[in-house]
Amino acid sequence: MIEVTNLSKVYPDSSRGDFLAVDGVSFQVRAGEIFGLLGANGAGKTTVLRILSTVLTPSSGHAAIAGHDVVTQPELVRRNIGFVSNNTAIYDRMTALEMVQHFGQLHGMSGVKVRDRCDELFDQLRMQDFRDVLGANMSTGMQQKVSIARALVHDPPVLIFDEATLGLDVLVARNLLTIIRDLRTAGKCLIFSTHIMSEVERLCDRIAIMHQGRILDTGTLSELKQRHAEEDFEELFFSLLSEHERGEVKARQSMGASG
Amino acid sequence: MTVNKAAKSTETQQGHIAQGGRSWRSVLLIYRREMIDQLRDRRTLFTIAILPILLYPLLGMVLLQISQFKRESPISVCVLGRDHLDVPTPLFEGDGFAEGLDEGGGRIELVHYDWGTIKLGRDVREETTTWIQDGRFDVVLVIPPEFLDHSARTTQDVANLQLYYDVTSDESRVARGRIISLLNQWQSRWVRGDLAETGIEESVLNPFRLDEVDVAPQQSKSAAFWSKMLPFIMLVWALTGAFYPAIDLVAGEKERGTLETLLCSPASRAEIVWGKLCAVTTASIATAVLNCCSMLVTSSLIFRQISLGSGAAIGSPPLVPMLWLLIALIPLSFLFSAVALAAAALAKSSKEGQYYLMPLMMVTLPLVLIPMLPGIELSAGTSLIPVTGMFLLVRSLVEGDYLVAALHVPMVLGVTALCLWLAMNWAKRQFEDEAVLFGSQEPFDLRLWLTRAWKRRGAVPSRSVSYFCGSVILVALFFAKLSGGEMPEDGYGFAKMVLYPQLTFILAPSLAFAILCSRKPLRALKIRGVSFRTLAVSLSLGVLFHPTYLMLGELVSTLYPVSEQAVEAMKPIAEQISQLPWGLVIVLIAVTPAICEELAFRGLIFSGLERNGQHWGAIIITALLFGASHGVLQQSICATVMGLVLGWVAFRTRSVLPGMLFHFANNAMSASLERLANGALPGVELLFTRNETTLHYQTWWVVLSIGLSLLAFWFLGRTHRAEESDVERREAGVVVTSVDNDQERSESLAITEG
Repeated sequence: MIEVTNLSKVYPDSSRGDFLAVDGVSFQVRAGEIFGLLGANGAGKTTVLRILSTVLTPSSGHAAIAGHDVVTQPELVRRNIGFVSNNTAIYDRMTALEMVQHFGQLHGMSGVKVRDRCDELFDQLRMQDFRDVLGANMSTGMQQKVSIARALVHDPPVLIFDEATLGLDVLVARNLLTIIRDLRTAGKCLIFSTHIMSEVERLCDRIAIMHQGRILDTGTLSELKQRHAEEDFEELFFSLLSEHERGEVKARQSMGASG
Repeated sequence: MTVNKAAKSTETQQGHIAQGGRSWRSVLLIYRREMIDQLRDRRTLFTIAILPILLYPLLGMVLLQISQFKRESPISVCVLGRDHLDVPTPLFEGDGFAEGLDEGGGRIELVHYDWGTIKLGRDVREETTTWIQDGRFDVVLVIPPEFLDHSARTTQDVANLQLYYDVTSDESRVARGRIISLLNQWQSRWVRGDLAETGIEESVLNPFRLDEVDVAPQQSKSAAFWSKMLPFIMLVWALTGAFYPAIDLVAGEKERGTLETLLCSPASRAEIVWGKLCAVTTASIATAVLNCCSMLVTSSLIFRQISLGSGAAIGSPPLVPMLWLLIALIPLSFLFSAVALAAAALAKSSKEGQYYLMPLMMVTLPLVLIPMLPGIELSAGTSLIPVTGMFLLVRSLVEGDYLVAALHVPMVLGVTALCLWLAMNWAKRQFEDEAVLFGSQEPFDLRLWLTRAWKRRGAVPSRSVSYFCGSVILVALFFAKLSGGEMPEDGYGFAKMVLYPQLTFILAPSLAFAILCSRKPLRALKIRGVSFRTLAVSLSLGVLFHPTYLMLGELVSTLYPVSEQAVEAMKPIAEQISQLPWGLVIVLIAVTPAICEELAFRGLIFSGLERNGQHWGAIIITALLFGASHGVLQQSICATVMGLVLGWVAFRTRSVLPGMLFHFANNAMSASLERLANGALPGVELLFTRNETTLHYQTWWVVLSIGLSLLAFWFLGRTHRAEESDVERREAGVVVTSVDNDQERSESLAITEG
């Protein structure tokens, strides 16, 4: 469902020189699978996911969702994804119902269909009791639910969650993880990015560890543990990172020597 | 199960959308949402609807009250030295002023003292001053003892009546006005009495009488006022009404984080821009219309209440022609909204957005104010100025000059459409620019910034350096022009007048920036050797292009006639030029500007602006700066066109030198045209013809020169390609190791594209 090949993104910055945020990233995600993107802040996760949601364009490489290229067919890509991130807020001056209905209509759904779908989603996410509350008056948990309902309204085959649990309390975060698991059961293709390791351990079928714009390693949790001979996932993560840092330093030294 | 069904239905929609292109449904949905959003926003609602509805009635109320106050508040007057008033025509009757002297208004509280009854411990002047300053009286009229002396009254200053008042106090000024008119009445009554006594008829004073007759019909009289006033108010409000919603709809959404939500919805960027633009335009039109309606209703009521002297001439506006204004408001509101939307997109937060209102106003207000100037009418020239043209068109429609209006409609509409298209594209580009949408905000540290700028300066200056250098040049020239202004008296003075600004304000900043802000000053100034053939062609192009340039100059001066004053002012300079030796004139008028202006505009500024392959942007912007550096409007327009051509040459030849030769040859031709025509060279009359005072090229030469110019342009364009393939061959063999290779990279990219 999601195909990413050799994706790179350069941010031009006149004061600091160009910044390579994503550097040759490749991975695939199939339907019915949760793919975890794990990395510290600034590792490039958000950039990758923004490219997948067609909000940013890649500097090089390709990415396709449900067979549609993100650069040449951005509109079709957006019809096939639901994108939830902590940068995709909800409108302050709209009620929960209006917000979800508006995006359903933007997806080309007819009035009756949107209403039925909203009813279904609001029941499913237990949102009926605040359907007429304005966004500005909602708690963070309510807002997150509205965001999820907004992303699910057109029933997309691919769902992207970018740091979706950031700022949520334990209860709400747990609730969100349950929703994501349910979506996997429904056969959706999911990408879940986070910097919290326990979430990845509990939720994801396959994991990619990102650092400084690169994927250091990909695989299932057991594969990774086996490959690096490390049972503790947190230790595994740090040893991967420090290994990468050492490699970088060496490469720079050898560059300096030859140059 | 439901999943599969939904997936299928999206599949079918996809096919439909992919074929359909832009969907107006999305635009409409976004428009509707933005409108609901705005209507739920208290701040917007207040500025758009509540403020105008309340503002004018409130203003009107205050105005009414002020006029009531002026009419009804009593004034307190003190007259000192009533006993010195022994004259045939009485000023007082009983305790008040004589009947018929006061022309009405409020009550007059009059207190009068005899000179003797009041103990003046101090000087009269000091005493009365404290009375007024303490607020005991508004004015004090002093009748000195000398007034008693009949012969002194008209001859000696000490016998003058004195009226003490305080100009900083409103009450005192009002009182002064009334007492003065009262005294005037008294004086003329006195004169009439004297005349009657001596048996002279009153007609001696007024040998004839004058009637003024205004032939303008009442309707156009009120139209004249409203056709100037209303568009101005409407446009200012249209801009304000567009600006605040635009900030909320773009910068505000960025701030609240909802923009990304919208960007990853199926709506395309163009649909989002259109939806938002329509919403902003609606707000803009609503604000303008509501303000005007509220003002009209209030003012017509107020004018009926108080006749402010001119009140009769203003009246209420003719309603039917006002419809023209409404029609014109739609494209202008669109234009303002698109500009406001693009400007708002630059801001990262609403607060930052607010800062952009002032610059936007500064740019727009002159366009709205030009039509208010006396004597500005719809003409070929003014119809080409954006906004102003539309404004004047509306005015001529309101005043009923349908023929003039019809004549200029295509031009005004064309200019407005062009501006609208540009503004729309600008707004759309802002929405496609990732740096604008997701740019991060960093705290600014001057020292850090300076050290970074110095360490990381590239081979060529950055775009901001180019803009900065351009602004420095323009500002310096502006102040030089303000401070100077004395006409040179001799050749030396003339040389100083030309050389000083060229060297100090154009050349020096460019050289300084080239040395300070780039690693390779020569490259920053675009000094690069080119083939001898290119140079030769450029030099002759200056001569060949000159007839075209002259024609352009004539066209411009017919569109925007030079004022006679300016022509007179230019005369001594022209005379001096004709008296100077030819060689010196060439050095001053051709060589100096060619070197200084080219190094500045086509050198440093150009090289910074054309980074990342933005050659056309560089050409247009340097041309505009070049135009602006020429003081007079007519010159500026010609220089802008010339700047485009020179910019193109600089882009094609990738060097400043061909442009220098071109510029030199062109200026040299302008400077020596008269001498060539008057000279004893054989065959001169074949090349030139003279009608009345101006000198023209013969038609055959104009046609031929245009053809040859095109040929030369073609040659320069071709040289570029040939030289580029040279560079390509050279670069292919060299591994680029430099850090500053962005220029090369963009150039080689351009090659592969070409």
